[in-house]
Amino acid sequence: MSILLNKVSKKYGAQNIVREFSLEIESGELFVLLGPSGSGKSTLLRMIAGLTPQDTGEIYLNDRNVTALSPQKRGIGFVFQNYSLFQHMTAAQNIAFGLEILRVPKAERDERVHELLGLIGMADLGNRMPSQLSGGQQQRVAVARALAQRPEVLLLDEPFGALDVKIRAQLRQNLRDIQQRLNVTAILVTHDQDEAFELADRIGVIDGGELLEVGTPYQLYRKPQHRFTATFLGSVNLLAAERNGTTIHLGDKRLPAPPQTDHLAGQSVEMMLRPESVEIALTPENLEGHLLGSGIVESIAFAGVLERVAIRVQDWEQTVHALVNPDKARELNIRPGDHVYVGVRDFHLLPLN
Amino acid sequence: MREKPVRTFWPWLLIAVVVVYAGLLLLAPLVAVISGAFEDGIQPVLEAITAAEALLSLRLTFFLAITASVINAILGLIVAWVLVRHRFPGKWFFNALVDLPFVVSPVIVGYVMIVLFGRTGWLQNFPIQLAFSLPGMLVVTVFVSLPFVIREVMPVLASLTREQEEAAFTLGASSWMTFYRIVFPAIRHGIIYGIVLTLARALGEFGAVAVIGGGVQGVTETATIYIYRSLHDRNDIGAYSMAITLGVISVGILVVMNWLRRDPSEKGSQHVDPTE
Repeated sequence: MSILLNKVSKKYGAQNIVREFSLEIESGELFVLLGPSGSGKSTLLRMIAGLTPQDTGEIYLNDRNVTALSPQKRGIGFVFQNYSLFQHMTAAQNIAFGLEILRVPKAERDERVHELLGLIGMADLGNRMPSQLSGGQQQRVAVARALAQRPEVLLLDEPFGALDVKIRAQLRQNLRDIQQRLNVTAILVTHDQDEAFELADRIGVIDGGELLEVGTPYQLYRKPQHRFTATFLGSVNLLAAERNGTTIHLGDKRLPAPPQTDHLAGQSVEMMLRPESVEIALTPENLEGHLLGSGIVESIAFAGVLERVAIRVQDWEQTVHALVNPDKARELNIRPGDHVYVGVRDFHLLPLN
Repeated sequence: MREKPVRTFWPWLLIAVVVVYAGLLLLAPLVAVISGAFEDGIQPVLEAITAAEALLSLRLTFFLAITASVINAILGLIVAWVLVRHRFPGKWFFNALVDLPFVVSPVIVGYVMIVLFGRTGWLQNFPIQLAFSLPGMLVVTVFVSLPFVIREVMPVLASLTREQEEAAFTLGASSWMTFYRIVFPAIRHGIIYGIVLTLARALGEFGAVAVIGGGVQGVTETATIYIYRSLHDRNDIGAYSMAITLGVISVGILVVMNWLRRDPSEKGSQHVDPTE
């Protein structure tokens, strides 16, 4: 076990920032802590680094209890959102700083710096001052600096938050490659679900200082346990329903219960439909999945690869969103005001809470 | 910002006002002093400035200015740090207090010191004699030049993000190492500039040291007091010579400090790439 958190808590005054947070992270894993701003995710990361003292709980890094240790002694690398490079040092000097602290001999130090500059694809730019580097380059130097001492654990606090979308996507891939090549355990904090999906081995969803659930990106997107997770990770349609035995009652419609939802038997539930699982057809016979009802098309909007269609379903006076392939949309030839049938290919159930 | 090309009458008038104003106030006295001093050639100037009491007063001025600068550099840095980084009750009051030397007349400072530490003062049994003595003169010099380092360093310190220091911590650097390697280089310019101002202020101080020191010839007489006494004694050449000496020293300090304050990135670009 590379990182183990046991009931870590933090309060500022009367406000709970992090509440009894427990988590286990495997060696070599890239774990993404995903949550909205103010959810306590950065505070938690700073507590793991020792930069913010926790009120209660224990922190273990590679089976070593570091709860009482200063950040200097935890053997972690930390990457800050705003790069935080030492402005009066060159990129190479920034990377070498941690090695100087460890009194690594000059020759060895230079070799390591050279290696790291190569790793981040900046072999020729070691001489530049931070002010002469782009935001993306500065962030890569910050990652190299954090890796210089070969830390057991790499902690990244919204590392791409200040960069534009294109650079961000590039750096994500770069970071994932580096992390896997060095096989370093990493925790990355972000509020960006795309970033989490692309990078994470596993994602932990945090809200209000509490860890709601942990899972692979697929699990959390398709089969979340919490309404918050369902709504935070992408857009979703939620429909109130009942689960009786193995049947879902949605208004006068009957649908078979999806697998792995037996614990919700006999309860009021919400059906969770991702827009890409929602179907539209002009007749009920043309639906591949289960019929949900019929309604009026409210709007059709271009959404990049797909088109987003909003349908007001008459039976339950609720708007359902569907993502439709443009070819399919053209074939249906629908316009706002048209009457259509709405079906669903697959769905998930959430407890009503 | 680029200057606008001058076309109409009104800007020319403004420029003329500025030139005449600066000329009268800054240049005219300079010309007067220099021409007055060298009226009879360089020999009398050299004699006047190497006279025993002139040298003594210069030495005293230097001692006071340099010692006060060292003290204010160290204490100023600590005060600036505390005022920027720490929270404590009454902080606003101390912050305001720092500017006191800017607004209080130095003569009053000297007078208050005598009232406190003089023969009939409240603190007359203070173990070190301050009234009419060197320690007293040092104390008032430190007082009048106190705000400069603090006020120069505070904004620079406030603009530093804590994250750079935290980054150094996570890389294993101790608090002292972090200050020395990360914080100090960032605020170095503020410190140096503060020291220049402190030094300049201390070199030129007159009122406070005259009152607390009493201006005893050869004992507590600083260079500025020497000039004042020379004028009284109709020793014009002595006054002129000392004025020029102090002026040259001030300009020299400015030049040296400007050289020290060079852009740090220039130094950085001379750094040899360790990867080569």
